[in-house]
Amino acid sequence: MAPDLFSRLVTLASSLVLLSGIAVLWRHSLEAYIRAFARQSFLFVVTIVLVAAQTGDARLYLVAALVFLMKVVLIPNVLQRVQRHVGADLEIHPYVNTPASLVITGALTLLSYAVASPVTTLGSVPTRGGIPLALATVFVGLFILVSRKSALSQIIGFLVLENGIALLAVLATFGVPLIVELGVFLDVLLGVLVMQVFVYRIRETFDTLDVDRLKKLRH
Amino acid sequence: MLLIALLACPLLAAVLAAPRSLDRAAVERAGVALAGSAFLLSLVVATRVAGGGVVSVGPEEFLRADGLSAVLALIVTGTGLVALGFEAAAGTAAATPEAEGAHFRRYHALAELFLFTMLLAVTVNNVGVMWVAVEATTIITAFLVGLRRSRAALEASWKYILIGSVGIALAFLGTVLAYFNFVQRVGVTPFALHWTVLSRVAGALDPDVTRLAFVFLLVGYGTKAGLAPMHTWLPDAHSEAPAPISAMMSGCLLPVALYAILRFKVVVDACVGAAFTDRMLILIAVLSVLVAALLLVRQASYKRMLAYSSVEHMGLMCLGSGLGPLGVTASLLHAVTHAAGKSMAFLLSGAVRERYGTSRIGSVRGLLRAMPWTGALFAASVLALLGLPPSGVFVSEILLVRAGFRAGRPWVTAAVLVLLVGIFIAVLGHLNRMLYGDPPEHLRARDHPQRLLPLALNVAVLIVLGFGIPGPLMRLLGTAAGIVAP
Repeated sequence: MAPDLFSRLVTLASSLVLLSGIAVLWRHSLEAYIRAFARQSFLFVVTIVLVAAQTGDARLYLVAALVFLMKVVLIPNVLQRVQRHVGADLEIHPYVNTPASLVITGALTLLSYAVASPVTTLGSVPTRGGIPLALATVFVGLFILVSRKSALSQIIGFLVLENGIALLAVLATFGVPLIVELGVFLDVLLGVLVMQVFVYRIRETFDTLDVDRLKKLRH
Repeated sequence: MLLIALLACPLLAAVLAAPRSLDRAAVERAGVALAGSAFLLSLVVATRVAGGGVVSVGPEEFLRADGLSAVLALIVTGTGLVALGFEAAAGTAAATPEAEGAHFRRYHALAELFLFTMLLAVTVNNVGVMWVAVEATTIITAFLVGLRRSRAALEASWKYILIGSVGIALAFLGTVLAYFNFVQRVGVTPFALHWTVLSRVAGALDPDVTRLAFVFLLVGYGTKAGLAPMHTWLPDAHSEAPAPISAMMSGCLLPVALYAILRFKVVVDACVGAAFTDRMLILIAVLSVLVAALLLVRQASYKRMLAYSSVEHMGLMCLGSGLGPLGVTASLLHAVTHAAGKSMAFLLSGAVRERYGTSRIGSVRGLLRAMPWTGALFAASVLALLGLPPSGVFVSEILLVRAGFRAGRPWVTAAVLVLLVGIFIAVLGHLNRMLYGDPPEHLRARDHPQRLLPLALNVAVLIVLGFGIPGPLMRLLGTAAGIVAP
């Protein structure tokens, strides 16, 4: 693949990753949130395969396969089961409404271009066009996390944020060393499993997933 | 080999919790014995590296302990020994009723794994693996915090795992940026994420990206270290966890997170000079002490009081870290004295809570009459934490103040001193309300001094350090400080 075409494809894929993260903000059903996350993870896998094909790094194919297994198949399935089991499907009253959320997302994307400028100027990698977009995905994930009230939406926010960081790692350095990558996978997987246990318990104890009700502990 | 043996101790203890043939007492005895061996092993490591040496094992020093690691390993294993010992001494009438019965095996195994991950974080050379270890502590302790299954415990563990995971994810972003920086400037090498390699080539790194990476690392690991304004999970988690876990979380997990920041500070300083990191550390430190002071004034729960006191003390350690070599020495000494004082206070608070059935300050009356030994020791540990002489905390705080003036930061130091006086008055008021008066009618005076025996280690550390720092320890602290701020 010509380097120019490659870097354009990578930038395109990264923008689609960001876009599917933003999609969460204009949807209202948790089902759609989970699908958006699965779609985002799939686009992320596509990006990894692109980079792998260009660099010829066999290790990256392994990473892509693992990400596919974990974030496109396993975690969405776990979340869907949780969602069906607890029966809640709507993120009813987010702290920030949809239009305001989208404006804030735009601002966050601009911010990430500003923050990432030293990184993109230093980088000589052909993938550097995607780096600000990856950082924007991190910020969008953080924003989902603080602006949505359902415990499940917060998990989605965390996962979107995590995808952003993983994307950044792949774009900037073509993947961190494998031992670290594996440790990160393990931690994210365990983290989500632990979080799902707590979602069940929250549902059992509080009869809702609305974390706004969790305010016994103050000061 | 030494380091492998050190890490094997808690792992073995975790495995021993599984077989049904071992009853609770046997599991606890094995846990204490192995925690004791781990403590002795870290003492051996400390003596080996006190003069500036390094203990390492594996390819390109995969596991590596220098003076800084040794100080932290001592804190982790010492606190672990006391916490496990306290629980074993409490026997079947446990200080943690929620850790009874079927839960016990899981609880014990998780507590041991918690110790293992902390030890791994301070002895591994690869900063990526260090990140994995610190992240693992979040997952393990979230379960331990939520053990009680009450509404409050559930809320605390949800906040904890969410805020902790996000914080640590940002730290990973910082790690990735550091790695990117390295690869761009130096090229791909198999050991680029090793701290030794990173700090060796730091001068060649790009300053702007280095600064950006440090901001993410400070926010990320700072969240785990309980520094303001990322501290919001801490009072909940530390007050809802079972007492031995609170003791370990406050006494050693927080300094381990600060350790991660210090490791990166070395790299960043070599690249852009110490002024940048010092300024940021001091800013976040003053904010932490301020937040702690404000929230300590009107505090209704003694466990939350201890938790906010941890925010204060982490602020002080963070302050010292930004004050040059003497400051780092003071900060590390403070980590030791704080771990001794705070783990003792948390363990005793568990006994008080078990007795009175509440953690409200207003509902605890006549502690000194209802539980003469426990009450007196609790008072002593809180007074020590307030920096009253002769306690080790007093010495480390004095050293910190001296470092502040010597580093040319008189105003910051004076402001922190004023806040410390405020905290002193507020906490002393809370303590007085608990100690005196008439205990509730249904509580008969009953205490079990023999159960308090494991705390002898804490008392010894606080008293000995209160009268001066022994030569070998001073040498170790000096070596460690020399690594952070040459």
